[in-house]
Amino acid sequence: MLASNFLVPNGTFIAELIAFLIVLFVIGKYVLPPLNRAMQERQEKVRAELAAADEARASAAAEEEQRRAALEEARARAGQIVEQARRTAEQVRSDAEARAQEEHDRIVSAAAHEIELARQHAVEQATVRMGEVVLDVVERVIGREVDAQVHRDLIDQGIAAITGQGTPGPRRNGEPADAADRQPSRAGAGPNA
Amino acid sequence: MGPWFGSPLLALVPSVGEHVVRKVAGLSIDLDTVWATGAAVVITCALGLLVRRQLTSGVPGKLQLAWETGIQLVTRQIEGSIGPRGLAIVPLAVALFVFILIANLFEFVGIGSRYEWLGAPTGDINLPLAMAVFVILLVHMASIRERGIGGYVKHYLLQPFPKFLFPLNLFINFVEELSKPLTLALRLFGNLLSGTLMLSVIAFLGAWKLGSAPVGDVLVVPFNAIWKAFDLFIAVVQAFIFSLLTILYFDTAMSTEH
Repeated sequence: MLASNFLVPNGTFIAELIAFLIVLFVIGKYVLPPLNRAMQERQEKVRAELAAADEARASAAAEEEQRRAALEEARARAGQIVEQARRTAEQVRSDAEARAQEEHDRIVSAAAHEIELARQHAVEQATVRMGEVVLDVVERVIGREVDAQVHRDLIDQGIAAITGQGTPGPRRNGEPADAADRQPSRAGAGPNA
Repeated sequence: MGPWFGSPLLALVPSVGEHVVRKVAGLSIDLDTVWATGAAVVITCALGLLVRRQLTSGVPGKLQLAWETGIQLVTRQIEGSIGPRGLAIVPLAVALFVFILIANLFEFVGIGSRYEWLGAPTGDINLPLAMAVFVILLVHMASIRERGIGGYVKHYLLQPFPKFLFPLNLFINFVEELSKPLTLALRLFGNLLSGTLMLSVIAFLGAWKLGSAPVGDVLVVPFNAIWKAFDLFIAVVQAFIFSLLTILYFDTAMSTEH
């Protein structure tokens, strides 16, 4: 009765055991090792790829940082250059202004000088002429010729008194009076230049 | 047409664990089980050798992915319980899982006849018992290798009770060790046998008629579909439980702390 029970194993047991051993052998020897190798290779590949990706990301970040730094520097340089240009322009402008002012002053003082010279010249002319007139008048009044050479000092003193200048020194004969009188007037114009 | 066709409801009792038995060299052999087991062996090995041919470390195909998922499932389980030294039993656990799963799935083509032309071989006590006995033998060998023969014997004498109760310890441990292969085998066998029985019960429903209306024949279709969907779940769960328990038995046998 025992042998007919479906809970009791029979000779099939041996066949089933052999069947399972075949499966175990095939899987253990021919299937698992290459599969495990493939899985390990893939893990290695994934690991390497992840590492490479990390590296790429890091280098990209570094490059970005460099780029930003370069941009920042360029911007700063540009700012400096603009500032410098602005300062240079300012300098040029103020220089030009100063030069113009100087030129203006020079022209004005030169003109003033010219005017002074012309005035002095006119005064000298006038005084020389006045001296002649005075001599003429004196000759006529005292009836004899006054020697211009002899009374030169006297005449000059008179002229000096008229022009308001200091008493000029004794002169050599024949030297034009205007040439001698230009000296003090030019010295007087000096501070104006 | 099966023998149930046209019979009144449950007029025939479904066959329970009946097999086509032949005497070979004085041993009774269940020919249908041997044939189905052979088919399962061929399919399992073919799937293994097929995946081996198209193996890639790049993007795996569906078959390779299925194998890898199974292997990773088993490997993670072993590493989590036994640790790296248990990796030697990965092939055993994988072979158990895949082979049992494929054998279980044979139930999917069953129609509930007296003898299935390709019944699940795990529904015959011989296959689950053969695997369970083989596994438990390996477990005991691993235990002896891990603890030494002295440690192996002491392990059964000195726990769970104190030393002076060693006969009791021996008895308890004997029952426990005997129950391991039996429960391992009977759990798988019982689940698959009951699945086959459900199929034949549903098939017998086909004989149910109300007058001349074939109510049973109509009901058989949805019932079969529902039951086979559930069977699919059972097939996976039972295959997984068998290999998981194998791993846990190895874990208990190879652990040295007590």
